[in-house]
Amino acid sequence: MSHSTLPDCELNSTSTLPEQPGVLVIRKHHFLVRCSHWLNVPILLGLILSGISIYWASPIYQHKPDPNTGNTDVAADIGIWICAHVPGPHRYSSPPDWLYNHISLGPGMLGLALRLHWLCAYLFMLNGMVYVAGLITGGDWRSLLPRPTDPLDALRMFRYYVGFPFAKLTRRPWPHPLFNTKYNALQRAAYFSVPVAGFLSVATGWAIHKPMQLHWLAALFGGYNAARVWHFWLMWIYIQFVVPHVILVFADGWDTLRSMIVGWSARVERSEVVANGS
Amino acid sequence: MVHKENREDSLQPKDTPSTGIRAKQEIEELPAPGPEEASPSVPIAIGNEKPEVVEAIRQQDVDGPPSSSVAHEPRTDEAASSGAAKQEVAELPEAAPEHASPSVAITVAPKENEKPEAVEAAKQQLEADGSPSLPEDHEPRTEEVASSVAAKSVSVSVKKPQSFFAEGPLPAIEMAPRVLRHQSRRDFLVFGAGALAALAGGAFLLPQDTLSRIGIHENINSSGKEWLLNRALRIDDDVAEALYSANRSVPTYSRSQITPLKNNYNGSTPDPGYISGWKLTLDGLASGLSISLDIRNLLSRLSLHEQITRLVCVEGWSAIAWWAGLRFDDLLRAYPPMSQAKWARVESSVNLDASGNPDPYFMSLDLATARHPQTLLATHFNGQPLTVDHGAPLRLLVPMKLGLKNVKAITRITYVAEEPRDYWAERGYSHYDEI
Repeated sequence: MSHSTLPDCELNSTSTLPEQPGVLVIRKHHFLVRCSHWLNVPILLGLILSGISIYWASPIYQHKPDPNTGNTDVAADIGIWICAHVPGPHRYSSPPDWLYNHISLGPGMLGLALRLHWLCAYLFMLNGMVYVAGLITGGDWRSLLPRPTDPLDALRMFRYYVGFPFAKLTRRPWPHPLFNTKYNALQRAAYFSVPVAGFLSVATGWAIHKPMQLHWLAALFGGYNAARVWHFWLMWIYIQFVVPHVILVFADGWDTLRSMIVGWSARVERSEVVANGS
Repeated sequence: MVHKENREDSLQPKDTPSTGIRAKQEIEELPAPGPEEASPSVPIAIGNEKPEVVEAIRQQDVDGPPSSSVAHEPRTDEAASSGAAKQEVAELPEAAPEHASPSVAITVAPKENEKPEAVEAAKQQLEADGSPSLPEDHEPRTEEVASSVAAKSVSVSVKKPQSFFAEGPLPAIEMAPRVLRHQSRRDFLVFGAGALAALAGGAFLLPQDTLSRIGIHENINSSGKEWLLNRALRIDDDVAEALYSANRSVPTYSRSQITPLKNNYNGSTPDPGYISGWKLTLDGLASGLSISLDIRNLLSRLSLHEQITRLVCVEGWSAIAWWAGLRFDDLLRAYPPMSQAKWARVESSVNLDASGNPDPYFMSLDLATARHPQTLLATHFNGQPLTVDHGAPLRLLVPMKLGLKNVKAITRITYVAEEPRDYWAERGYSHYDEI
């Protein structure tokens, strides 16, 4: 919190109340955006865990039956490989299930997984609407839009991140590139593409779920089978987004994490912000 | 840093104390309308002298108590007596350079409509976010934020017009620490409670097997959990029912697109011995009779239709196959169901479970779907009579439902008014299965 360093107006003759120093803050995230942000955590977790359980029933990636085990599932192969080569799960009772037992609800529960998936999917769509409502009400959607300068700025940020550990080790100054926007170009790319991925996940989800009534939607993604592949890989977008997202939020500091809870940031100086007062 | 830039933005000559004083006087002479009009009037009064105003106010910053500026501020603010209003006054000197520009913003005609919009946006935001404990100085603040937004856009608009999609500056606001603390504490409590609720909800909803695997062995299975999951399933069925249209055909394919379809009997494949004595029994007919038909009766009475459609399994795989058979609709016309019937219970008594014991398969089918022209009682697969694997001699082919509704070796169809039992619905799957 940066307390205002400005002189108090002790000569204000029209007021008799005692002075109280104000705190200058930026409104960063709308309440609805914050709600939907945090709701996404359990909802996406539920979708991914149940989704991989559903995947188990009919894996997209299969090969000819293995002569020894009869196995056709690549994910089962990975489980078998892990159990054979990683010391921990060496004596795992069912190696083909290892992956499913660790990154999904588990194998052999399609009915339950589907019900949980529908529940989370409807919540995800509702939550997406809450998010969009928050973006529109707060006007923050503008901060997410890509702009022509983004590719170059993204390279600058990328260079900064890549050089950061080395600069820290060698104790050289490594200034953060300056931006006068809410997000830097890399953040913008991420925060723009994740809602787009959310939208595409919902669209491909419907395409798989209703391939007859919404066959035009499935056709849009290249047909029913292709829509399944889309849906599967869109899941990985969340996973590969979340990991650096969480790391960078912690690296950036408490203010950034807190701003997603309380909505305001005390880092007034970092953005080109117009102070109030008249 | 920011302020330095801003000062450069305002392109202005450096100070002379005298002009500064003059500007100050002008501010003092302003009329004192309500907050709505405050900022338009300021710019008009100041007009071209923006730079001097900037400097003048800067000057105050240096010179000590900015008495004149303070004097002017409350007048533009209806909430002058509130503490918050005073805080804004305190804020004034630092903010001054920014606020000098709104003057231009408002006097420049084409930009005028930009401001109300900004005001609107800022207001909405504050309203949406507001808690009852906020001081009632919203009005002036929005005004200020708004005018600064306008200022920003104008300074850019000299080069090119600001688009609707352009990102504006983040509204910085001054909060009383007490209010800020109160709001923040509230938000931490709200989101903390939410996190606990999510944890509890997750533990409540996860399958028992999953929970045991992560070390939770208490049985949290409850009727509430089943109720909630079934509720979601019901909602999804209702959506599917709303999506269904009797006039919509499922896509058909060419022969070259046909893909292999394996034997997907859930349990063991029945012994083909049943085929010779096979009969289809119809119950719940308008005539009140129970009718048994063999395959020759059916084929002689009803005409054959062909289609190449996709069969989609609940598991996710699908197969494009070439089918031929009788239209269910034709059967319904030939042997009309009782008038109150809305459902067909389609049954196979020859189904076996995995260990080969009899496991009759039964399934509900709404008559609206049964009447669809692409709903067949299939007799042929890939140009040949059905084999045992595919449900000889007669199977249901309802491509707008999941594969599990496509009952093989149908032995009985019963028309009923109420939704009948369904083999897979009893095992936690959807009742309706419309895709």
